Amino acid sequence: MLLPKFDYHEPATLEEALRLLSEMGGNARIIAGGTDLLVRMKLKVEKPSQLISLRKIPGFDAIIRRENHGVTIGPAVTAAELSKNELILDRFTPIALAAGRLGAPVVRNRATIGGNLVNARPAADLPPACMVLDTKLKLKSATTEREIEVGEFFRGPGETTIEPNELLVSIFVETPAPWTGGAYIKLGARKTLEISMVNVAVLLTLQDQEGIIVDAKIALGAVAPTPVRAFAAEEYLIGRQPSTEVFHEAGAIGVGMCEPITDHRGSMEYRCLMIETLTSRALNQAYQNALAWKP
Amino acid sequence: MGDYRVLNTRAPRIDGPAKATGQAKYADDFKMPGTLYAAILQSPIAHARILHIDTSKAKKLPGVKAVVTSREAGLIKYGVSPARYDETLFAHDKVRYVGDEIAAVAAFDQDTAQEALSLIKVDYEELPAVFDMFEAMKEGAPQIHNEFPGNMNAEVHQEFGDTDAALAACDLVIDHTFLNKRQDAAFIEPHSCLAVYEPSGRLTLYTSTQVPHYVMRTVAMTLQIPVGNVRVVKPYVGGGFGPKCEATPLEMSCGLLSKVTGHPVKMSYSREQVFLHSRARHQFYAEMSLGVMKDGTMVALKNKAVLDGGAYTSFGIATVYYSGSLLGGPYKLKSMKYDGYRVYTNKPACGAQRGHGGVAHRACFEQLIDMTAEKLGMDPIDMRLKNIMMTGDMTVNELDMSSLGMKECIEAIRKGSDWNNKKGKLPKGKGIGMACGFFVSGAGYPIYRSDTYHSTVVIKLSEDGGMANVLTGSAEIGQGSDTTMAMIAAETLGISLDNVRVYSGDTDYSVDLGAYSSRQTLMTGHATKEAAEEIKSKIALYLSQELNVPIASITFGDGIVKFDGGPGNFDKLRTNYIKEHRGWTDPPSGEYLTFREAARLAYLRAGTIVGTGKYKPPKLGGSYKGAAVGTSPAYGCSAQIVEVSVDLDTGQITVDGMTDAHDCGLAINKMSVEGQMQGSLSMGLGECLFEEVKFDSRGRIINPSLGEYKIPTALDMPKVKSIIVESNEPNGPYGAKEVGEGAIMPTIPAILNAIYDATGVRINELPVTSERLFMALKKNAEGAKI
Repeated sequence: MLLPKFDYHEPATLEEALRLLSEMGGNARIIAGGTDLLVRMKLKVEKPSQLISLRKIPGFDAIIRRENHGVTIGPAVTAAELSKNELILDRFTPIALAAGRLGAPVVRNRATIGGNLVNARPAADLPPACMVLDTKLKLKSATTEREIEVGEFFRGPGETTIEPNELLVSIFVETPAPWTGGAYIKLGARKTLEISMVNVAVLLTLQDQEGIIVDAKIALGAVAPTPVRAFAAEEYLIGRQPSTEVFHEAGAIGVGMCEPITDHRGSMEYRCLMIETLTSRALNQAYQNALAWKP
Repeated sequence: MGDYRVLNTRAPRIDGPAKATGQAKYADDFKMPGTLYAAILQSPIAHARILHIDTSKAKKLPGVKAVVTSREAGLIKYGVSPARYDETLFAHDKVRYVGDEIAAVAAFDQDTAQEALSLIKVDYEELPAVFDMFEAMKEGAPQIHNEFPGNMNAEVHQEFGDTDAALAACDLVIDHTFLNKRQDAAFIEPHSCLAVYEPSGRLTLYTSTQVPHYVMRTVAMTLQIPVGNVRVVKPYVGGGFGPKCEATPLEMSCGLLSKVTGHPVKMSYSREQVFLHSRARHQFYAEMSLGVMKDGTMVALKNKAVLDGGAYTSFGIATVYYSGSLLGGPYKLKSMKYDGYRVYTNKPACGAQRGHGGVAHRACFEQLIDMTAEKLGMDPIDMRLKNIMMTGDMTVNELDMSSLGMKECIEAIRKGSDWNNKKGKLPKGKGIGMACGFFVSGAGYPIYRSDTYHSTVVIKLSEDGGMANVLTGSAEIGQGSDTTMAMIAAETLGISLDNVRVYSGDTDYSVDLGAYSSRQTLMTGHATKEAAEEIKSKIALYLSQELNVPIASITFGDGIVKFDGGPGNFDKLRTNYIKEHRGWTDPPSGEYLTFREAARLAYLRAGTIVGTGKYKPPKLGGSYKGAAVGTSPAYGCSAQIVEVSVDLDTGQITVDGMTDAHDCGLAINKMSVEGQMQGSLSMGLGECLFEEVKFDSRGRIINPSLGEYKIPTALDMPKVKSIIVESNEPNGPYGAKEVGEGAIMPTIPAILNAIYDATGVRINELPVTSERLFMALKKNAEGAKI
């Protein structure tokens, strides 16, 4: 299978990239890892006449700690890097775990967080993980700049609020409160190289080591046209003493948030049942991680 | 077992360095000046009448050199078995599946060829289609081939003994059904071919195939070229597993387009086209009853098969026979009845794949044995051992187990897996299961009726005497046959493996039916051995004349020649050799005459020294209809134990361990034997847990990619304990027989029996996805509540 013909640009600065993007508008696509785009181009699903590469833009592949309050992740940081980065593993656990389950090593070495978010596949790994953390996306065009909560970003399969002349330039994630633990569970057929049948990201914050749940975030993937938060289950959890029974109940409530489809990967019925099981399982894991929290 | 120097070791593969360094050439790597690129137009509709084909626009596209349809190709019918030639290169009256070939183009580059395809206009009259094998058998179903009413492609009815009477006399009869799913072989290298038609009238195909010989015959027939003018060269091949066992429309189209244009023509299938061409594992439905006595003695087996064949026959006749014949062993039965039906549907044709025709029915049978053992309160291993066949036994359908280490295999895995301490003693969610199987070491008869040799081999010594060149038409497809032949030649000649070179996969080198039915080691191995022996006797003859010693006193081994076990007096030979090769870097030395010097003498006496070998099996099998299918000079057998963990809340299965024993006769190369064993397990695990080619309601494949068609990854494969059991096969070269396919036979039922052990739920439909198992567990729990 051959790639269609296209012009390739490798801007050395962000300004140049934004200028190219504004000039070319709908004819251009951004390429980072290319793990989705090149496949779609070979299948002739997409035929952009211009590709703009991010590989030379300074800082796009950096993970920068913002003292005491968060981390800025460049859009071209790879899943492999996220899965191994100690800061991400320690404080932003769901992102590291989800990145570690994305594809297989060869895919993770190329696939980027920006690409995974912007492609907005309903079953993608990183969106639910970002959604349980307080994540803001910075979008820039040649003339505008705005910041958007990740939860506001996804509109449908492959659709986001990003404009054709906008580029995702950074991802800021706020450091969770003390006594927070996170988890990410993915259900697919194989142990790796999978597209989720269901995935669940969870963040749980305790008052203290023995205390009640003061905050809970649950996001589910592959169960609706976009990843969704299980708000009702989160509300149920807040203020309660953590226990297996409470987590189980939260899982049951979580199912109500979902409208999974039946497709060749799995049926609606099975997906619903698994949302319940995996949510409660992820909550248990997050709880264990929260107990192990260290300043 | 003899005292071998080369055989029975762990030899590094002779093609290893070329493959590891990227030097190995595959069909798609071949380039020639003036090459045109071809593409095939395939039907987007599953069943339709072709009303009109307009190629005029495509022909006018700049860069297009030729467009061919059935008008140019003719309507010569071909297939695998002459009994069912039901394909033409291009569809002319009807298309019968999404992917059916209609036209081919050759152009200066691939883009142009693809664009030309889009300019061919085909008018279709869509016909009702049928995609389900049971629907296809019903009255009033759409008819796919006029010649085969009721979509019945082939029917087999065999009975040995009076099965109904035998079942009626049994203490216990248990029934079971089983359904697998259509598989894809998922070889790493898609089909690829470069065809070169020369003005002399000679056509050469460089193609990714398992069977150069059959490709040569089919291409000669369909393109109407004298068979002596067709040469098929198989470069290195990235896997075949069965679907590359027949000539493809890709090969024939390249050949035809090269003939029409006078240019070399090249084409490679995309992965999607590999799925569309298919010819891989059928979908099988099995229905069985096993009758036993109270003490566990097996008496009678009733077996019914329905096969979803797809739109054409391919290997299907053999497949539908194998589903019956391969249950004749390895357990003693008094009677067996088989009814098989292969049905046409509007899907890509199915064919042969590793464990041809036997895998699904073996899975059903081995589950049935476990179910029976449970009812009788017997350990499944004891139940099998009670009924096991031994060397010299003949199955009820007249397959001769000339060697059979089945019992040894079972005992080896029982010990190797610590079965006795695990069976029945594992916690819920953990399970252990076992199964057995056997397979042919080469089909007893060629695909076409013929007295042909199945293998011939030529060995030619180099002029200096230092190198033995083995020329064979056999097909190295990744399984290691080149190394096997090199080892057999080296052992027989008494020289080191480094002094043998293998030239293979070329119909100009020798006759060889190819790599299918696990035949290369036994059949090509025999021919290689015979050729090497002829060389050895020629050298011995000339030595005896020259040195005036009796032939019987001369022995070969370790690269040297001995006379009555000692060095003898060969001074004048050495002096002559060194004189002739003055200034060369490697004069012969040492106390003994080297093979090189001896071979040089033979050359000086008689010119180039050539030895030839040949093999065909003796007449095998019974005289009933279809008796040929399942016959073989020898049978390999294997037993496996699988341990699983089941996540009872999700249905996810983890295969924790596999213990596998295989009787391959003498293990020529232990490393290759283990490789085949482990590869078989991986393929069986994939079929059991993940793999299924899925179609939408209009017959289009939903998952024609290795992203969505799921074969096991390294993380899905457990550590495998491979135990080689070596019987001495009287019909095999040096006692060797198969391992390439037999090893897959027990894998699926062993996993299924382990899942049952872990959960108490019997799964009789593949693949056992987490969803299928979870829903079955749920249903089982609900049933228990009521």
